[in-house]
Amino acid sequence: MHNLTPSAIELVDFYDDGEQARHFQFRLLDGAVSASADPALTEPTLTKQDTGWQKVQIGQFFMLNVPGVGEAPFTFTQMPDEQGHFRALVRQMGAVTTALFGLQPGQILGARGPYGIGWPMNEISGKRILVVGGGCGLAPLVGVVDHLVEQQNYTQLTVVYGARSQQAKMLNPERERWQQFIPVFNMIENGDLNGDENEYHGRPIDIMPTVLDSFGELPDVVLLAGPQVMMFGMADYLVASGVYDHAIYLSIERRMHCGLGTCGHCYLKHQYICTDGPTFRWDVLQPYLPEDH
Amino acid sequence: MQQYLVESLKALQDHLSRARQFYQVVEAAPGDAHWQHIIPPAYPPLSAQKPQSSAKSFFFAEQEPLYVFDGQFFRETLPSPEPFVLFGVQSCDLTAIHYQDLFFEQDVYYQARRRQALLVGIDCVHPCAQGFCYLVNAGPGVRDETADLILHPLEDNQWLLVVVTAQGKEAIQGVALTPASAQEMNQRWEQLSHCEQEFDDHSYITEGVERLNRGEVSDALWQRIGVQCLACSGCTTLCPTCSCYGTQSQPFVSGDGEPVAKAVEVSGTLIKEDSGAAPNTEQPATQQVRFWDSCLYEGFQREASFNNPSAQAGERVKRFWYHKFSDDFLPEFGRYGCVGCGRCEQVCPGVIGVHSVMKRIVDDA
Repeated sequence: MHNLTPSAIELVDFYDDGEQARHFQFRLLDGAVSASADPALTEPTLTKQDTGWQKVQIGQFFMLNVPGVGEAPFTFTQMPDEQGHFRALVRQMGAVTTALFGLQPGQILGARGPYGIGWPMNEISGKRILVVGGGCGLAPLVGVVDHLVEQQNYTQLTVVYGARSQQAKMLNPERERWQQFIPVFNMIENGDLNGDENEYHGRPIDIMPTVLDSFGELPDVVLLAGPQVMMFGMADYLVASGVYDHAIYLSIERRMHCGLGTCGHCYLKHQYICTDGPTFRWDVLQPYLPEDH
Repeated sequence: MQQYLVESLKALQDHLSRARQFYQVVEAAPGDAHWQHIIPPAYPPLSAQKPQSSAKSFFFAEQEPLYVFDGQFFRETLPSPEPFVLFGVQSCDLTAIHYQDLFFEQDVYYQARRRQALLVGIDCVHPCAQGFCYLVNAGPGVRDETADLILHPLEDNQWLLVVVTAQGKEAIQGVALTPASAQEMNQRWEQLSHCEQEFDDHSYITEGVERLNRGEVSDALWQRIGVQCLACSGCTTLCPTCSCYGTQSQPFVSGDGEPVAKAVEVSGTLIKEDSGAAPNTEQPATQQVRFWDSCLYEGFQREASFNNPSAQAGERVKRFWYHKFSDDFLPEFGRYGCVGCGRCEQVCPGVIGVHSVMKRIVDDA
C-alpha cells in the first residue's frame, strides 16, 4: 500500500550555493513512526516504518514536507548513508522552499520516498559517458558523477555545465572536485568569465562540437538534466550528430503532490513523471511530447 | 449466480441496514436526486433517477486529512467508517467505482472506506437524460464485476435479486427469498435489451472517439473549445471517474473546531506517556489534507517557477478528453475512463460536455 505519511527528519545543516540556492543536509530520525488507524488520534500505535531509505537509486527523488506549509519533490545530491544523512540542493522558488530557507538546524521536517525511476546505472557503467546539466538541473546528476568518479567506472566521462551567469553557477565545489579527474566544461551564457581555463562563453550546445570531438567516436551514453528547452534542444542536436536516441536519458521535472502516480499533476499523456520517470530514455519520451516541443 | 424474487423490498432493506449504515438515492424533485443517509425504516421509494453526484465521494473523499504533525511525529489519520450499504447504485456509477478501485488499489484512505461497503446495484430500464452507458460498456444493466447484489425491477412492485459476490451472498443470509424462475430471469435480459434500443443515436460519440484516437482533432479546435471552459471544475467534480487531487497543509483543528495553536496542547492525546516522544512545544500542530483538484484549472500543472506545461485552456481540455477516451489507457484499465453518465454535459455552463465536444469534433472534420 502507498504511504502518504512522511517520516520525521531533522534539518542538520545548510550552506548557500549560487543565487537563492542552498544545500541542505537532513537526517532521518530513529523511530520515524506512523500511527495506526485511529480517527480520534487518541491511542496511536507507534510502528517503525519500512521506508526503503537505505535503497535509494541515484536519480530518484523524495517529497519534502515543511510542516504547515506543504510538500514538494526534490532530488538527492547525496543518497542516505547508514546513519540516515542525506543532502539536497534546493532553489528558493515557492512557498515550501521559502519557508525552508527560513529554518534553522534542529528543525523537524518530513520526508517521503524514495520515489521514481533513477538513472540506469547498470547500463552506463564502464561506458563513454557525456553528462550535461543546466543550472540547478545539475543536482540530479551529482550522485551519478560522484559515483562514477569514485568507482572510476567509465571509459570516458565528460561533464558540461551551463549557467546563466557567473553568479548563478551552482555546485562549484563538486565540479572543482570532478575536474581533477575528468574533463569539465563550464558554460556561462551572460557576463564575465572567471578566468578558469575550462570556462567558456555560451550555452552547453555551443561547446558540443568540441566535446564530441574529444570523444573521438560518439559517446555511448548521454545524461541530461536541466531546463526542458535545453534538454530537448540538446537531445535533438545529439541525435542529429549521430548519437542513438536510445542512448540519451533525461530527468524531467513536474509539479507533484503525491509522488505515487495518483494525484494526477505530473501527467505527460498517459504517463506520470513521478512513477514512469523522472528519468526517461529519449526514444521513449518523445512520443509523449507535444509535436512542437 | 443465484437469483431470487424479492416481493418485499423493505424486508431486504431492513435486513441490510441491521448491521450497516444505509444510503439510498432520494428524489427531492424531478431532476434533483442525491445520495442520502437513511434512518430505517424511513426508506424512500427506490429511485430510477440518476443522482446529481455519483457515489464517488463515499470512497474518494472530497476533502480528507492524510496525517497530523504534532511537532515531533507525523501520524497517519486513516478513516474508519462503519460498514455501510449503497442501496441502488446505477450501472454507470458502479462501473466508475470499479474503475477507481483499480486506480486507487494501493491508496490506504480509499481502500479503508471501500472495504466497508456493500454495493447493491440497480438496472436501468429506461435511458436517462444525456446517458450513453451502452456505448462505453457501462450499462444500462449492472455489470457483474461491479456489484455485490443487483436489483432489477419486475412487474407488480416485484424485484429480481441477483447475487454476485460472496459478500452479497452473506449479506442476504436470513432473508426469506423465493428462487427466481427462468421467466423472471429472462425478463431481465429482455427489458435491458429493450432499454438499449430506446437510446438516441450517439454515433457521433463513436466517431469522435475514433478521430481523437487517430490524432485527427486539431489543436486549433481544442483551443476554440478551451475558450469556452470557465475552469469551474463542474465536469471533473461530477465525473464519477475523475480522481485528481491536491494536497495542502493546514492548522490542525481540534474536536471543538478550534485551531490548535501549539503542539503541546494536543500532546496529551496524541503522544503516549511511554513513547518517549517530546513534542516541540513551539511548533503549531498541522495537518495535511487532500482535496479534489481539477486538471482544467489554470494552475493545475503550474510550477513554483511559474513554468506551466499546460498553460493554454485548449491544452487542458484536450488532456481531459484524452484521459476519458484515449486507447492509451486501455492496457491499464481495460476500458475508457468515461462511463457514459452524461453529467459533464448537464453541468457544463460553457456547453462543452461530452455530447457537445464530440459533435464539434465530428463537425470540424
